[in-house]
Amino acid sequence: MDVRNELTARLDACQKCNVCTAQCPVAKVNPHFPGPKGLGPDMERFRRGQFIPGETTLDDCSNCKTCEVTCPSGVKITEMILDARRAARKGPHKTMPGVKLRLRGYVLGRAEYLGKLGVLWPGMANQALKLNLVRWALEKGLGISQKGPLPAYGKPLEVIEDKAGRAGVTSGKQVVYFPGCYTRYNEGETGRIMIKVLEHIGYKTIVPNFHCCGLPLEANGQFDKARKNGLYNLELMRPYLEAGVPVIASCTSCGLTLKEDYPKLSASAAQMIGAQTYDLFEFLWLLYEKGELPLDFQQVNASFGYHLPCHLKAQGIGTPALRILRLIPGVKIRNLDAGCCGVSGSYGFKAEKYDKAMKIGSPLFEAVNVGVEQGDFQEMLTECGVCKVQIQHGTSIPTEHPLRILAKAYNIIHE
Amino acid sequence: MWDAIVVGGGLAGWTAGIRAAQRGKKVLIVTEGVGTLYYFSGIFDYGDVAGLRHFPKHPYSLFDAETIDRGKQFIKELCPEYIENNKSRHALTVLGTVRQGDLMPRSMVLPDRQEQGIFVLLVPEGLKDFFPEIVVSNMAREFPGWQVKVKRVHAEILGEWERIGKSASGIDYAAIWRSKEGQNLLAQEIETIKREQQGAGSKSERIAVVLPSLVSEYFDASRTKIYGKDYSLPVIEMSSFIPSPHGRYFAEYLKHQFTDLGGELMIGARAAALTGEPVSDKQPKSCQEIIVHSMGKVLHLKAKKFILATGGLLGGGIKVGIERKSIHEDVFDLPLFVPQEWSASRFFAPQPFAQIGVETDNCLRPLDTNQGQVIWDNVHVVGRMLAHWDPWTQRCGGGVSVTSGCAAAEII
Ligand SMILES: Cc1cc2nc3c(=O)[nH]c(=O)nc-3n(C[C@H](O)[C@H](O)[C@H](O)COP(=O)(O)OP(=O)(O)OC[C@H]3O[C@@H](n4cnc5c(N)ncnc54)[C@H](O)[C@@H]3O)c2cc1C
Ligand code: SF4
Ligand code: SF4
Ligand code: SF4
Repeated sequence: MDVRNELTARLDACQKCNVCTAQCPVAKVNPHFPGPKGLGPDMERFRRGQFIPGETTLDDCSNCKTCEVTCPSGVKITEMILDARRAARKGPHKTMPGVKLRLRGYVLGRAEYLGKLGVLWPGMANQALKLNLVRWALEKGLGISQKGPLPAYGKPLEVIEDKAGRAGVTSGKQVVYFPGCYTRYNEGETGRIMIKVLEHIGYKTIVPNFHCCGLPLEANGQFDKARKNGLYNLELMRPYLEAGVPVIASCTSCGLTLKEDYPKLSASAAQMIGAQTYDLFEFLWLLYEKGELPLDFQQVNASFGYHLPCHLKAQGIGTPALRILRLIPGVKIRNLDAGCCGVSGSYGFKAEKYDKAMKIGSPLFEAVNVGVEQGDFQEMLTECGVCKVQIQHGTSIPTEHPLRILAKAYNIIHE
Repeated sequence: MWDAIVVGGGLAGWTAGIRAAQRGKKVLIVTEGVGTLYYFSGIFDYGDVAGLRHFPKHPYSLFDAETIDRGKQFIKELCPEYIENNKSRHALTVLGTVRQGDLMPRSMVLPDRQEQGIFVLLVPEGLKDFFPEIVVSNMAREFPGWQVKVKRVHAEILGEWERIGKSASGIDYAAIWRSKEGQNLLAQEIETIKREQQGAGSKSERIAVVLPSLVSEYFDASRTKIYGKDYSLPVIEMSSFIPSPHGRYFAEYLKHQFTDLGGELMIGARAAALTGEPVSDKQPKSCQEIIVHSMGKVLHLKAKKFILATGGLLGGGIKVGIERKSIHEDVFDLPLFVPQEWSASRFFAPQPFAQIGVETDNCLRPLDTNQGQVIWDNVHVVGRMLAHWDPWTQRCGGGVSVTSGCAAAEII
């Protein structure tokens, strides 16, 4: 079945039950948003009649994919919405965001660009972002909310070239690491810990000089740039993919992009990328099942709450981080499963959406607060860097990447 | 290696998964979506259990009375708000008609029709697919001794919705009634009703408030603050309609119960095939692993036992080919019982089409439809996927799913 037919089949599968809309976090807080059923299957029919109504509402979809995993009939809702957004940019009925919005789309879409700026002077960028005046200017100038948390910048993750010359020829086991902009520029430390963990379990890590995966670009309407980034990254990965080297992502949104969007690009490596990309803990679990994961864990006596980022949920691999961390003696962990944190990539950073994002995240914040108040846990864990910032902003509870707990158990870090 | 993999996260799959996890088993649930729970009224239909147990091949005929009771017990322990009918109990539908309630929440139970009193129907402003006039006339017919009054209630939080003329779903309203603000609003409204009625001199009469989209069950105290209020009048919940707020909160609750017991959930993943080998030359074979499509890749998942809970035709577990030329079970390619007339013009007449499903032995293991032999030794079929029953005419949907789910979990 070609893609179009497949989509038609999915479209006809829609039973109009409205379950998706009932679960959509944006529809819950924004009455102007038609919801996934309205934007996806319903409007798709209009689009096919070449009729595109004013679709500015399309931009309100945060691409969290909650609708898609809830739909009892497997309708590919977000695919329809994204397609429609592409069409709306190109079509004669082009929605014309104001200059400010376009510029904002440009800045938020370029996490990479922002990142590079930030790490040139991390101290300064952090100070500047904390300054109300600067945040005020960002809000007025670009429509980036001054109340929302913006990630801080740290020492960036270094590129690690493959010294062996040709890919895959080294004798030892190796992996390619796709750190993503967030880890690379905002949280280089997480990347460095990950490389040490991989080393501990017997893998050498290569970090080519990747560009942004493209997801933030896509989410901010810059489809062409997103596609170019994808092709560029795929070309960097190609020799490794051909040699059967796994690609590891520690950011859940990058991981989803590599698995979902890259296979659709026209490049030979696109055939391999989906099956060879692993979320870090997905990869570790695979090793565990094969009996290859070292289990030399130290006791870690601590209890945690866990937030499953939407873009990890959408990968359909469950919660591998929980499975791995539960192997560590002393660790107690509860999957809060209280919905999206509200940020959805850069959605919650937009000024007109700050309050809505906080409202979307409120059940999660409540679950965190209730758990901490009852003494069930003291800290939160989540893989997505943006969720992490948002949870800390909404609850003031310290939040970490689950990798850090594993690194403690392996005696790689000590605090 | 999992003790069991449950394929399908509907009522039957969750029941099997939770019960098995309660028994200390390592369980994985693989599911594409949330199943038909979002259609759930809030009431578990059991139907005429004693009668149906003697119906040839009906799923109830596979179980003894104790097993069926154990399923009910399971639900009552999971949701202490549920009570069972020792005498016949009834609940209101959102249309104001009366439906039987077999295993139902206490707060849905209706007063005796022989009594007299006043119902005050609280009508939330802008609630989608809710028709107060119809409800009032139906209630008046069902309860001749009762007076039915209407009071509108306005939730300021939905003001933005109202201003643009957009309706709110029952799920939106349920979220409000479960919040602190919503509880306060209800308490105030009910107090007002009480004063008004007393002012009107109806002191001695029974007054009950009726409210749609109220879900006062399935609270999870480890994740939500609970703002329980004592209202000054009794409040009766109406059962739910699609998309169902009862179903939504129940599904969420089941998910949390399961994962808190250490169960692993893969949502958004589709099981596509299995691989297995004959234990010996003859049947039954033993299934080693299932093949699951996650985003971008194929996973091979191993377990000792497999539970098939993919929900039949509506749940997506049975696929019908173009023009109904073919029909097959989608994961294990199990043989299906298909009534002769199933593809006839009477396709949507209740009987034949509803009976399609997998035939099993007493241990819920799939049978060859011709020889009647067990095909897979370690595969168990539950819920809507089972053959020879009809949730519509026999009104036993929840009962069959809970009973079979629980029974399968006991043999893991
Ligand atoms: C509209 C409606 C209203 C109902 N109301 C009531 C009621 O009020 N009270 C009552 O007692 N009963 C009610 N029932 C009946 C009862 O809910 C059903 O018997 C029961 O829900 C069936 O549950 P199930 O778990 O077998 O299937 P389903 O709920 O259909 O679940 C099947 C699950 O399997 C998943 N799935 C399917 N194929 C695959 C695959 N290949 N891989 C992975 N996952 C897969 C689906 O995503 C789904 O989650 C109602 C049924 C309907 C249709
Ligand atoms: S897309 Fe799926 S969930 Fe949404 S209305 Fe259609 S069938 Fe229902
Ligand atoms: S992806 Fe998320 S925000 Fe977009 S329609 Fe679906 S549920 Fe709503
Ligand atoms: S920010 Fe996190 S929870 Fe929020 S949408 Fe992203 S992945 Fe989902």
